[in-house]
Amino acid sequence: METAVEQTMTSRPDKPEPTKWKRAKKVFKGHPMAIAGLIGVTLFILTAIFAPLIAPQNPYDLAKLDILDGLLPPGSRLYDGTYSVMGTDALGRDILSGVMYGLRISLFVAFTAVLVGSSIGVLLGLLAALRGGWVETIIMRAVDLKISFPGILLALMLLAIFGTGVDKVIYALIIGAWASKARLVRAVALSEMKKEYIDAARLAGLSDFRIMTRFLLPNSISPVLVVLPMSISGAIGAEATLSFLGVGVPITEPSLGLLIANGNDYLLSGKWWISIFPGLVLVAMVLCINVVSDRLRDHSNPYLRAKD
Amino acid sequence: MMEQLISVNDLTIAYPMADGEIFRALKRISIDIHRGQVVGVVGESGAGKSTIGKAALGLLDENAVIETGDVSLGGNSISGLSESEFTPIRGKRIGYIYQNPMTALNPVLTIGEQLLETIETHTDKKGKSARAYAIELLEHAEVTEAEDRLSKYPHQLSGGLCQRMVFAIAICARPDLIIADEPTTALDVTVQKAVLDTLKKLAKQDNIAIILITHDMGVVAEICDYVYVLRYGGMVEHGPTKQILTQPKKDYSRELMAAIPRIDKKLARFAVPGGMSKTGNRQRALDFLLDREERSAIAKGEPLLSVRNLSKTFVTPANVVSAAKEFKAVDNISFDVISGETMGIVGESGSGKSTVGRMILGLHTPDEGYQLTYHGKDLPVAKSRAERLELSKSLQCIFQDPYSSLNPRMTAGENITHAIKAHGIIGRTAAHELAGNLMELVGLQRGNVRKMPHALSGGERQRIGIARALSFRPDFLFCDEPTSALDVTVQAELLNLMKDLQEALGLTMLFVSHDLAVVRQMCDRVMVMKSGQVVEIGDCDKVLVNPDNPYTQGLLKVMPRFSFDEAR
Repeated sequence: METAVEQTMTSRPDKPEPTKWKRAKKVFKGHPMAIAGLIGVTLFILTAIFAPLIAPQNPYDLAKLDILDGLLPPGSRLYDGTYSVMGTDALGRDILSGVMYGLRISLFVAFTAVLVGSSIGVLLGLLAALRGGWVETIIMRAVDLKISFPGILLALMLLAIFGTGVDKVIYALIIGAWASKARLVRAVALSEMKKEYIDAARLAGLSDFRIMTRFLLPNSISPVLVVLPMSISGAIGAEATLSFLGVGVPITEPSLGLLIANGNDYLLSGKWWISIFPGLVLVAMVLCINVVSDRLRDHSNPYLRAKD
Repeated sequence: MMEQLISVNDLTIAYPMADGEIFRALKRISIDIHRGQVVGVVGESGAGKSTIGKAALGLLDENAVIETGDVSLGGNSISGLSESEFTPIRGKRIGYIYQNPMTALNPVLTIGEQLLETIETHTDKKGKSARAYAIELLEHAEVTEAEDRLSKYPHQLSGGLCQRMVFAIAICARPDLIIADEPTTALDVTVQKAVLDTLKKLAKQDNIAIILITHDMGVVAEICDYVYVLRYGGMVEHGPTKQILTQPKKDYSRELMAAIPRIDKKLARFAVPGGMSKTGNRQRALDFLLDREERSAIAKGEPLLSVRNLSKTFVTPANVVSAAKEFKAVDNISFDVISGETMGIVGESGSGKSTVGRMILGLHTPDEGYQLTYHGKDLPVAKSRAERLELSKSLQCIFQDPYSSLNPRMTAGENITHAIKAHGIIGRTAAHELAGNLMELVGLQRGNVRKMPHALSGGERQRIGIARALSFRPDFLFCDEPTSALDVTVQAELLNLMKDLQEALGLTMLFVSHDLAVVRQMCDRVMVMKSGQVVEIGDCDKVLVNPDNPYTQGLLKVMPRFSFDEAR
C-alpha cells in the first residue's frame, strides 16, 4: 500500500517539497515535553553564550570579590549593595554568576569533544565499510578495545598521564566519543555499500574519497545525527564527573562539576546552596537535552529499527 | 447458478494525507465473486488492487477511511467489524497468500510447527490427527515427500515449495475465499506455472473462490475465469477472461495487453505510447552523444567483446566452525558480442548471468585463466584510475533496481552528471544543460532535474539511470534486468526507449533477463545459462522458437502465454 500511495503522490502535479523548517516543526508538534526541552536547551545555550553580559558578577575577577560576602545564603544583600539570588561561596563569589560561567565551560567542553569525536568516528566507520580487509579489521578491533574499557576509567587514566586542563578534558572525552559512532556508521554504511548506486559510482571511475563523501556519508549519517544530542548530554555528565573528582578543568575556570565539588565540604554544615544550585542546573540541562534527543530518536525510529 | 460469496459494493477508500489532501486508493469499486471462481484483479502498481484484498480482511491501515460502500461476505457486511470480530473470519473463512513466500513464513520455526499451529487454531484436530491432516494438506498442495518437509525450516526449501506451504496453511481451515496477492511474482518462471496449476486445482477441488491480484496478464490468461482491470483506484473494465483478452473495450486494457512481451514473434516496437522523445528537443542530446570518440575500427558485424574461458568462484572464508566453502557461480564460459547487436543472457536466478556482466564491468575479479578482449585490446585487470575512466567512457551499465541504483541524497540531474563533472569532462553550467537534454532524450520533463529520486516513480528513476549511463557517451551498454522491477506497461515503454536509443546511437548491448519473452523482443542473439554454464547459444529466432537443448525447451514450455492472435 505504501508504494501505491507514494506513486500516486508522485504522479500529482508538482508540490513544493516541505522546507527543512516545516519538517523540523512537525517533529515536535504535539509533544509538549519535547518542546519544553527544546526551549530549555535554547535558554541554557543562550545563557552560556551571553554569560559575561548578563551575569551579575565576573567570578574570575578577583578584584570584584569580597571575602566579607563569603558563605551568604540565597537572597542575601552583598557588601556592594546588590543581592545574590543563589547565595555566595566561601570566597564571596556569587553562585549564580559562577553557574553561568560554569555552564559556558561545561557546554563548550561537551560540544567540542562530541563533535570532534563523532567526526573522527564517522570517518573511521565509513573507511572501514568502504575499504574492508585489514583496514576494517584494525579499525573495528580498535573500537572493540575502546568499548571494552569503562569510559570514565579510561578518561581518568588519560588525565592522570597528561595532566589536567580544559584541553586535556576535551581530548579525554573525544577518545570516549568516537568508538560508538564508528560502529554505528559502519553498520549502516555496509548495507548502503550493497546498493547499486555505489556500484554505479565505482563504474564511473570515481575515487574512493568521492564515493565516501558524496555517496556513502550523506546516506549513512542520519542515525549518528539522532544519537548526537544524547552523546552531548553524556559528555556534559562525564566532564562534571571528572571535574568533581578533581582531574577535570582547573579551579580558575570552574565548570558545573567543579562548582558542585567546591560546595561538597560545606553540605553537611548547612551551606547547601553552594552545591545544590550548580547541581540542579546540571540535572535540568541534561534532562532537557535527553527529552529532545528522545523525541528525535522516536521520530526516526523506523529507520533505526531497520538499520541498527 | 453459483452462490454469491463475497461482494464489494461501491467501495471507496480514502487516505488523508499529511498535507491535508485526500488520496483515494479505491474509487467506487464493485466486485462480485462466486464459489469456485478464480477472479483476477489486474492493474499497475498504485492501481489499488492490494487495497481490495486488505479491505476484505479488515487489514487496512489505521488511517484509512471507508467513504462509501462496503464488503459483504455471504450476505453480511464485514467492512465495519472490529478487530476481534474479524479474527474468526481471517484464516477460517478468508485465507491470504502473500507475494513473497520467503518472508511470509517465520524463518525460526519449522514448516510443521507453523502448519500445525494454524490447524490447531482453526480446526478441532489436535496432536496426531492434526499432523496427519497437515501431511494430507501438503500432498494436496503437491508437495513431494510431505512428511520430511514438516521438519524443515523455510530457508531449506525453494521458493516454489515455500509458496506451496503457504497454500497449505491458507487452505487448512477450508476457507470459502482465498486472496492471493501476486503469488508468483517472487518466483522463477519455471516454477510459476506449476504453482498456478496447484492453486487452480485447489480452487476447483474444494470449491474455494480465489481473488488473484496480479500485474501480469499472462497469469490471468492462465487461470482466471473473470477479470477486473483497475487503474488509479478506478475500475477500467471487467468481464470474462476470454472476452477481456480477445475484445477489450477500453484503450487501457488494450495497452495492457500490447505491453506484454510476446515470445512467438519479434515486434519492432510495443504498441504503447512512450519511448524516445519525438520532439525536436532530443536533437541536442543526440548531437552530444554522437560526438563520441571513435575507439577502434571494429566494423559493424565483427566481435566488439570477446569472452574466453571466464569463470568465477566465490569463496566463503573458513572460520572456527566450518571449512572454506567454494561456489562456482560461472563455469568456463566463452562468447562474443558483435558490434551493433543486442546479445541476451537468460537463465533462472542463480544461473550466474549477472555475475558474467559484473566481471566484464570490472566489479568482480574473474578466476585466473580467462581472456576478455574489448575493442581488440585486453580489458585491463588491475586498473589505474585513468584506465578505469577510459573504460567507463565506453562501457556502461543500466542497473536492475531503480529504487537503489540512484544516490538518494542527490537530485536527479546531479545523479546523471555528477561523475562526468567529477572527472572534469564537463563544466558546471554545461553539466546542468546536459542533464536537462538527456532527460528530454529519455522522455522526461526538463524540470525533473531538480527533483530528488524519491519523488520519482520506478519507471522515471530507471530513465534517469539510462541517462546517467549515456552521459559518458558509451558505445557498449550492459543491461542487468533493467525492467524486472517495473510494471509491464512501464517495461514496454522502457524497452521501446532502449530500442530507439540503440537505433539512434548504434549501441551494442548485453542484455541480461530472466524473462524469455523480453529477450525475444530485445535481442538478436541469446545465450541460455544454467548453474553457471552455457546451455545453448545462437540466434533468438532459433533458440527461442525451436531450441535444440531440452533445458531451453522446458523453459519455453512453462512460460505462461495465451494466444495473441486470438487477442487481436
